[in-house]
Amino acid sequence: MAEVRTIENVACGFCGLACDDLTVEVEGREVRAKAGPGGTVCPEAARLFRRLDTADAVARVAGEVTSQADAASEAHRLLTAATSPVIAGMGTDMTGAGALVDLAIRFGGVLDHHASMGLFRNYAAVQRTGWLASTLAEVRNHCDLLLVVGEDPTANWGRLFEKFYPATPLFATGERRVVFLGGTPGEKARRQLAGITLSELPGAPVEVLEALALLVSGRTPPQATIGGLPLAEVAALAEALRGSKYAVVTWNAAALDDGDLVAERATALVDALNVTTRAGVFPLGGTDNLMGVNQLMLWRLGYPLRTLVSGQGSAHDGTLYATEAALKDADVMVWVSAFRPEPPPSFTGKVIALAHPDTVFETEPDVVIPVGTPGIDHAGTVFRMDSIVSMPLGALRVATLPSVAEAVRRIAEG
Amino acid sequence: MRTRLKGGRVLDPANGENGVASGAVRDIEIEDGRIVAATDRKADAEYDLGGAVVMAGGIDLHSHIAGGKMNLARLLMQEDRKAFPEMPGNFCGCGGGRAAPTAHATGCRYAELGYTTVFEPAMVGANARGAHLEMADIPNLDTGAYLVLGNDDFFLRLLAAGAHQETVNAYVGWMIEATQAFAIKIVNPGGINAFKFNARRMELDEANPYYGVTPRKVLTTLIRAVTELGLPHPIHLHGCNLGVPGNDETTLATIRAAEGRRLHLTHLQFHSYGTEGDKRFSSSAARIAELVNANPNISVDVGQVMFGQTVTASADYMSQYRNRAIASPNKSIGMDIELDAACGVVPFEYKDKSFVNALQWAIGLELFLLVEDPWRIFLTTDHPNGGPFTTYPHLIRLLMDRDFRNAQLATLNKAAQKHTMLPQITREYSLEEIAILTRAAPARILGLTDKGHLGPGAVADIAVHTEDADREAMFSTTRMVFKNGRLIVKDGVVVELAQGTTHVARPTFDRAIDTDMQRWFDESVGLKAQHFRIADGELRNGAGPTILTCERGEG
Repeated sequence: MAEVRTIENVACGFCGLACDDLTVEVEGREVRAKAGPGGTVCPEAARLFRRLDTADAVARVAGEVTSQADAASEAHRLLTAATSPVIAGMGTDMTGAGALVDLAIRFGGVLDHHASMGLFRNYAAVQRTGWLASTLAEVRNHCDLLLVVGEDPTANWGRLFEKFYPATPLFATGERRVVFLGGTPGEKARRQLAGITLSELPGAPVEVLEALALLVSGRTPPQATIGGLPLAEVAALAEALRGSKYAVVTWNAAALDDGDLVAERATALVDALNVTTRAGVFPLGGTDNLMGVNQLMLWRLGYPLRTLVSGQGSAHDGTLYATEAALKDADVMVWVSAFRPEPPPSFTGKVIALAHPDTVFETEPDVVIPVGTPGIDHAGTVFRMDSIVSMPLGALRVATLPSVAEAVRRIAEG
Repeated sequence: MRTRLKGGRVLDPANGENGVASGAVRDIEIEDGRIVAATDRKADAEYDLGGAVVMAGGIDLHSHIAGGKMNLARLLMQEDRKAFPEMPGNFCGCGGGRAAPTAHATGCRYAELGYTTVFEPAMVGANARGAHLEMADIPNLDTGAYLVLGNDDFFLRLLAAGAHQETVNAYVGWMIEATQAFAIKIVNPGGINAFKFNARRMELDEANPYYGVTPRKVLTTLIRAVTELGLPHPIHLHGCNLGVPGNDETTLATIRAAEGRRLHLTHLQFHSYGTEGDKRFSSSAARIAELVNANPNISVDVGQVMFGQTVTASADYMSQYRNRAIASPNKSIGMDIELDAACGVVPFEYKDKSFVNALQWAIGLELFLLVEDPWRIFLTTDHPNGGPFTTYPHLIRLLMDRDFRNAQLATLNKAAQKHTMLPQITREYSLEEIAILTRAAPARILGLTDKGHLGPGAVADIAVHTEDADREAMFSTTRMVFKNGRLIVKDGVVVELAQGTTHVARPTFDRAIDTDMQRWFDESVGLKAQHFRIADGELRNGAGPTILTCERGEG
């Protein structure tokens, strides 16, 4: 029997919230995450940290078991022959992301992350007008009125409200309000929001946000109902927002069909509020180090995700170089998902998968190289959803699988 | 590895050598990355300099090259990136952008100008790890970063509670170590914090709406902290009321507030505005330069405005929120950050036909020419805020060539021409003075004893320029640049990439503060102090920092 090692203050790199107070038990190859002292553990962290004492997945070429080295040289061969590769998924830590950019520079290719949809919906607002934003510790301590747009985000970010609402905030010591616009808080959110004044407005977010921006600027929309709500109810919320000291608007653009419009209207509302009081947007997202990979792209290439590297240059197009569109013109896909067993999208060309060992493929890829998970098998760095804070992830057990960075270097070397 | 640079005219003000004036040529010998006394041993490589001017590699002590705000700038400046695509000799597809260049382009363009060390002057603690990751991807340059303090709630709480200076010192020491910083920067002392409580302006003696603490108190307490911790670089101050006409009085009062202690005022140009004249905007450069001249404890960099499109990125969200009204193109980003600081990113185009912009240009040059001691003034554009660093050769010519300067002035906004004393100033900088401004003096104010000069023991970061009466041409195309003794630029083009290091300062402090920091991070920030701290191995892809150990100073 292996001894049980208990490690405290373990950081989690999965959802983008970057909780770092988990307790993890390691018993030989087995790993179990639990709540740390005074905290909780969300189901996603519990699931994604869990490791059993099973034999490692092995590298495969055309479904046949092979060595890591042979798989890497086959991947190298496929990339050398490729005319338009797409590097997709990109679920990796900062070192892995750097290696993938190097790979694109070496072989050419489009770079995109599997969770970039929400990011680019938000960019519809950011790149046109910019926005006024806030970060977690500011929301935690300053925010007296939080407007949550769309569905309860707790399903994706299990501890969001726990992080937003500590027992003793520094400044927002009076009544703290949360208004759900177009969504309903679930059981768990209600528990985390105990002691907070909750209300729900079942209106259409885009229309309501637009009217709110008008109302806080002292203008009155002509309609009697706004997005299905009586004007008076929207006006009352506008009044509350104007009266707040630090309002925050949060939404998950990926989960909203009109996420780009929500981002734009929320931005305009926060702009209007800042004329007389303080407010910020807090866009949700950032799963699987989305923000870190995007940050690295910006400083390495000068462009965000959805960028093509070709020859000695690169070009960005948020539509053309989105994974789904780019795959239409591609002949090779490099699929990277180290954080979770996320299968690649269907694709008729060659597929090289640097995959979480539990990945179940609909179609066997041409090359499969199982990779370790940052924060479990090896150390690494990931960014939190605000793109500001980053988190060092430690190794919990001896790595038997390569990191994405190591696997990519082997492929590049052939 | 022994390298010999033969027959250069050595311009090394730190060691009192001026081969340009004397005409004397000599060899410089390099062994394993450092300059050594001349020997007659056989060299592995020799370069014939043919009488060219040899200086230490340039050091920029204030240039925004890394950190989250630069990525926000890149995001807003996609047009800039497209307009300035990859250049030949980049070795990869990473280079591009002018106002907000990529890490790779930053390292290559700086090296091409003969610079080998650049300091990021506004690293926010919460974003420090990201800034260090980004700096590791800048080739050819040694870097370092100043940590933004003075608006952080932990510090302001200490001040409000009347904490002992020793406690403040311990906190500052802890933060410097945790974030792998080199110096302390104060941005709008207490003002960024006050903006979070909806204050829109902060004067030097105005109380913070929540803490009741004044910017003066923030400034004097942190000046004492860095003095007592023995940090080599003095407080690097971006003062109150950036860009506001009438901020000249604040600046003068700030200099007096230092009470003889060392203080560096950064991008002074943006803080030298009077309210005279029918447009209520005037130059106070002469008054401010006079007080700088009279106070040897004060050093400054200019933050010269250069015409054209750029992007302004600052931790001063209070000021940048004001400036977003004049954004061009009309978009901007602001962010309150982590009980720590904030940032504001506003694209801006400085126009030569604009009265204000033309006068800003003139005010910067007046400061350069009226501050007398070249050891206390540094050549900066506050890249990219006043203009991109790639404009330095043009700026050097403006300083060295009066006729050129006056000819440029004659093309600017007419009203602005009448509001500047620039035509009456006859001073022209000498090459030796330029070498002081861009090498010797920054090394001295940063406490980097093995940089900024060419004596034995110095790091072999060396720039070779062919002399040219057109100083812009001379400084635009560097004949050779050596980084740690290796040739990285030849005839203005990068020929090899070098991996730089990151300078950090390590003060000693009372580690009892650690318990308070753990509680602060747990309860207020919402993450663990141990994860805020950056390990040595996280810098420069595992190579770790270059550590300057601080000797505790006297209060």
